[in-house]
Amino acid sequence: MKLVSTPELLSLQLRVIASLVLRETRATFGTSPFGYVWAIITPTVGVGLMVFLFSIIGRQPPFGSSLALFFATGVLTLQFFNQLSNKLMTVFDANRALLTYPIIKDVDTLIARAVLVAATYVVIMVVFYTALIALKLASLPAHPEHVVLAFLATFLLGLGFGTLNAVIASLWDTWTQIEKILTRPLFFVSGIFYVPSQLPPQARDLLQWNPVLHLVEWFRHGFYPNYNSMLLDVWYPVSVGAGMLLVGLAGERLFRQARY
Amino acid sequence: MLVFDRVSKYYRVGGVKKTILSDFSFAFPPDRNVGIMGKNGAGKSTMMRLMAGIEPPTLGNIFRTSRVSWPLGFSGGFNGSMTGIENIRFVSRIYGQDPARVISYVTEFAELGPSLRLPIKTYSSGMKARLAFGLSMAIDFDVYLIDEVTAVGDEDFKKKSKAVFKDKLARSQIIMISHSPSTIAQYCDCGLLLEGSRIRFFDRTDDLLLAYKELNA
Repeated sequence: MKLVSTPELLSLQLRVIASLVLRETRATFGTSPFGYVWAIITPTVGVGLMVFLFSIIGRQPPFGSSLALFFATGVLTLQFFNQLSNKLMTVFDANRALLTYPIIKDVDTLIARAVLVAATYVVIMVVFYTALIALKLASLPAHPEHVVLAFLATFLLGLGFGTLNAVIASLWDTWTQIEKILTRPLFFVSGIFYVPSQLPPQARDLLQWNPVLHLVEWFRHGFYPNYNSMLLDVWYPVSVGAGMLLVGLAGERLFRQARY
Repeated sequence: MLVFDRVSKYYRVGGVKKTILSDFSFAFPPDRNVGIMGKNGAGKSTMMRLMAGIEPPTLGNIFRTSRVSWPLGFSGGFNGSMTGIENIRFVSRIYGQDPARVISYVTEFAELGPSLRLPIKTYSSGMKARLAFGLSMAIDFDVYLIDEVTAVGDEDFKKKSKAVFKDKLARSQIIMISHSPSTIAQYCDCGLLLEGSRIRFFDRTDDLLLAYKELNA
């Protein structure tokens, strides 16, 4: 039995998500002056500091002529993924009070948070890469369409992993701690400060199972004209992301009773 | 339309199964105000949460075509670090209302003055209740769900609330939980009595109140 028309439901869905994004923005960044500016400054300064440290110890860029661009493609990609995963993991608990308004559902709060994180990283990346280009530390992306696709794929993987985490964490609190331990090594195995293609074959065989590494490689393929990654398989992170999102959403539906 | 179709609801807490509703079917009569009575723990509030759609039933379906409010008088959905105005704006948006209209209505109704521009966490519980009541009255629902609260605040505010409430009743329906026979008698014209194992419908409030009295005797 269908009681409300599809266009009506769609407009309700959009309205609820848009309101939640605005509320979440206000709640996350609105408490301190220049709140949203900090969300952009913190990661930017973080990457800048790392580039500075590596350049004073005299490190050469592993690829291309810009240390900054090489690190940024690694660190910003991983950060975007990590932020999605972290912020989404706690979303069901954090927004419990909101569910008192019956037209807001768990999945709405999940989508709203994901949209906010993605929008923040669009701004961060645009600001950072534009600054690099303006400072002559990078040239315009060689394949801009691949930069966009890599961003979308990172969003999908982060959303999938975050949704799955949110469901697991809602059933088992300890998972939030375990997830932190599990994702910590990503910094070292995602090709952030080395070129994965230059590693010995045994290492490559192992690392290619890490979907985040493919995303980093994808971003670099988008920025450099001749990155020629030996590992990049664009379908791998996309399928892993889609698969996790599917399992996560199915889990949300399946265990919905258990959360109340 | 608000229909419960073979609805069961139970919770499992620490291996113990607690049944609230089992195989309950009921069509809430439109254009009538329904009182819900029963002892503490009989499942009145859970039933209301099911009506509102806050919680899903364990088994069965609940069909809802009318605009049903959130359980009224409730203030837990407010975000403490956001101001009164910001909270009003948020609720107006999700319900597709014009925020400016709702803000001006609540400003006039709740009489909170400049406090509306302060974070909710600075409010007293009375102020919060006035805001919540004003907000729910500003949005037009077909069915208002009321859990124990009919009037909050001082005498003046109570009078005002009652007047607005009476006005609402001309166009909307209410479903109300209360332990107070006089409140039920004042607002409702039929009712449900939750007795743990069974639920009885009474076509007249008098019969409901009588059965409720016997239950407590």
